[in-house]
Amino acid sequence: MIQKEIYSDILREKINYRKLENGLEIFVLPKKDYTKKFAIFGTRYGSIDNKFIVPGEGDVTEVPEGIAHFLEHKLFESEEGGVFDRFSKLGSNVNAYTNFNSTCYLFSCTDNFYENLEILIDFVQSPYLTDENVEKEKGIIEQEIRMYEDDPNWRVFFNGLRGLYSNHPVKIDIAGTIESIYKINKEQLYKCYNTFYVPNNMVVFVVGDVDIDETCNTIEKNLKSTFKSFEGQVERILPHEPDEVKQKKLEEKLSVSMPLFNIVFKNIDNFLEGRDLLRKDIQSKIILHIIFGNSSKLYQKLYNDGLINENFETEYTFDISYGHSIIGGESKDPDRVYEIICEEIKNIRNKGLNQEDFERIKRKSIGQHISSYNSVEFIANTFISYYFKGINLFDYITELNNLDFESVSRRFNEHFDLSKSVLSLIKPNK
Amino acid sequence: MLKVLERTDLGKAIRLHVVKSNKFKTNLIGIYIQRPLIRKEATKNSMLSMLLNKGTKKYPSFFQLNRRLEDLYGGILVSDVAKKGEKHILKLKMQLPNSKYINNKDILKEGLAILNDIINNPLADNEGFKKESFLQEKENLKEKIEGRINDKMRFAVDRCAEIMCEDENYSIYEYGSINELDEIDEKSLYEYYNYILTSSPIDVFVVGDIEEDEVRELFSESLEFDRGDIITIPRETISKEIHKVKEVQDRFNINQGKLTLGYRTNIPYESELYESSILFSNILGGGPNSKLFKNVREKESLCYYIFSKIDKFKSIMLVSSGIEFNKYEKTKELIIKEVDSLKNGNFDEEDIEIAKKSIITSIKSLTDTPNILMDFLYSQSLSNSFDSIENIISKIRAVSKESIIEAGKKFQLDTIYFLNKEEEGR
Repeated sequence: MIQKEIYSDILREKINYRKLENGLEIFVLPKKDYTKKFAIFGTRYGSIDNKFIVPGEGDVTEVPEGIAHFLEHKLFESEEGGVFDRFSKLGSNVNAYTNFNSTCYLFSCTDNFYENLEILIDFVQSPYLTDENVEKEKGIIEQEIRMYEDDPNWRVFFNGLRGLYSNHPVKIDIAGTIESIYKINKEQLYKCYNTFYVPNNMVVFVVGDVDIDETCNTIEKNLKSTFKSFEGQVERILPHEPDEVKQKKLEEKLSVSMPLFNIVFKNIDNFLEGRDLLRKDIQSKIILHIIFGNSSKLYQKLYNDGLINENFETEYTFDISYGHSIIGGESKDPDRVYEIICEEIKNIRNKGLNQEDFERIKRKSIGQHISSYNSVEFIANTFISYYFKGINLFDYITELNNLDFESVSRRFNEHFDLSKSVLSLIKPNK
Repeated sequence: MLKVLERTDLGKAIRLHVVKSNKFKTNLIGIYIQRPLIRKEATKNSMLSMLLNKGTKKYPSFFQLNRRLEDLYGGILVSDVAKKGEKHILKLKMQLPNSKYINNKDILKEGLAILNDIINNPLADNEGFKKESFLQEKENLKEKIEGRINDKMRFAVDRCAEIMCEDENYSIYEYGSINELDEIDEKSLYEYYNYILTSSPIDVFVVGDIEEDEVRELFSESLEFDRGDIITIPRETISKEIHKVKEVQDRFNINQGKLTLGYRTNIPYESELYESSILFSNILGGGPNSKLFKNVREKESLCYYIFSKIDKFKSIMLVSSGIEFNKYEKTKELIIKEVDSLKNGNFDEEDIEIAKKSIITSIKSLTDTPNILMDFLYSQSLSNSFDSIENIISKIRAVSKESIIEAGKKFQLDTIYFLNKEEEGR
């Protein structure tokens, strides 16, 4: 077993790290005086992992879209009854989510923490799939997909990704399609489970007022002998993705009061690792705040012209194999918004970013990052998400503090290239 | 440790509530201005929530104000309105990192100065609010009111309550109405603002790692309030005779139907049965162990989400779900059947135990999030019940099966609302 402590002086937080013999990694961040205890058991397996080679098999396995999310639903079923019941009896809340790169099972509780932890560790290791219970889930997931079909923010977001990417599976909806989920069967689900729910592909993260040793012992004691890493690496097959965007503009009609837009920029310098990847993330976020934040000249112009309202946000999302910046909002004239944004970007490409803005936004980002450590949910979810990308979240504040203006300027020139941008629109359907 | 300190007065009908906890990395300040929820005021309150955070005399634009907040290590300023039963609350909140973590020991004081400026020196002169920003925010509010249809899940719940309480003030949308908005100008709004500043009960909260005495002094030095005669805001009525269950549909071009059932619980929050009514709703649709989740979702695969919740102040229970359009009758009947079955006592001690534990867990958990804790304490303040968390928990623990049935028997179905797709061929 490997064991170490990770500190952050700035955050005044400490994480205890252990790696067990079977390859499972455990992180515990004690939060004194918090009543809530929060634990995640996550696997580095998400919606983009639908084509892979299992070690020892020559053939490529290709599975229907939405299968990782389907499997997440099904793990809540067990032979002796529902998993929800076991947590409910202890008064705790259990939940799960699937995103592009991971599937995470989590609970929060105030009492009986170690019993809850036992159940979490146990149920994620105990799939119970029958033809019947797989069939039954399809109606439920169908309604989940329908719900998202009426969610304009979700639609404008995914349409943007479909415009950005030609081949990368990040363009596929996480839940799949109604057509694809009806193709899913028990055998495929077990195969995905056996491939990705293995110790060296998984992490446990615990945060709250807990005892570190007892936490780790509880986890170790509840690991099954069948829970083993296998020899060799699963090969995840990603298609080649060109630098160019697939479609510059996409439009859909929905029942909304006014048009919604997402303007998306594609990252081209992918497959970086660790701190290099992290710096790119931080730089991109800072740039988005400088150019589009609610203190920027551009925001001021758009707002004063009545072209945007307070629902105007930016985001940088990435994984090892992709990355994109999103600028989203509502507008009576989203085409005009796009034009003005393009002009401003051309303008900055000529004149450069303003260093004063950079210093101010950096300070703001530092304050807000530290503040976010109030939330146990933020800590656990964000830590795991970065960890699966090969990044230690505590490095975020260090890199942010060390960030210099020149590197941000370089990143601007590299990433904010208008030829790599897409405009996604949702318009009212009457 | 979390310490809810004694309330002190900052002025006439202004209460300061200080909550000290060294576990937070932020200080959160909240100012709650209380008004009745009435048609002639609601849109104005909502307009004020849009205008107040857009600038002050010292920081005369949204952008200058935002730059100032960024300088304060990303201070977050939020102004909004909230509907609490038939009360309408204008809220101003500011979150700042605690000075222990950053390089500015006066950050709280500087933040308070901004808040004071927002309250006492808004962008206005004798002619009222600055016309330009007034007109802009008027347009933004119009978009916001029209934009409520964009979130169909929430819209279906709100619409049901509105239809249910159509003759009552509870039916007023918290952001107001376009008709009322047309009537408001910068001058009348400014007069109204000055009137509510002097006449409304105000609560000021601070949650963070702070020194109590310092904070009290700082707040009374930093925040000024001009006071006059204070209005009394009546408690909402909760019971209404139901002659016939209303069944209403709206049609939109959508992919999923949204069904909401509205019940009157007929149990006020002052009643000894109040906790029992909360338990009734929790057993019915409080979470994945509830009757609705198990029988409508897991057994029948009719939906992905289904829940029930109670409005404490108005004593209504809303049950909502997203379903296939042609499953309307079936789901509706199933939900009514589940409610009636609970009224008849078809639940066991384990269901009660699970519901109690889940409620107790959420009550305990709210002390971990400054914003949720603050809203909870304010809601207590509104209902004049200052039970400690321990007391609330023991009240929940004391509820019996008989009292849950007794509470449930008072529940009456009032309205069934369905968000349907547009008819074919149109």
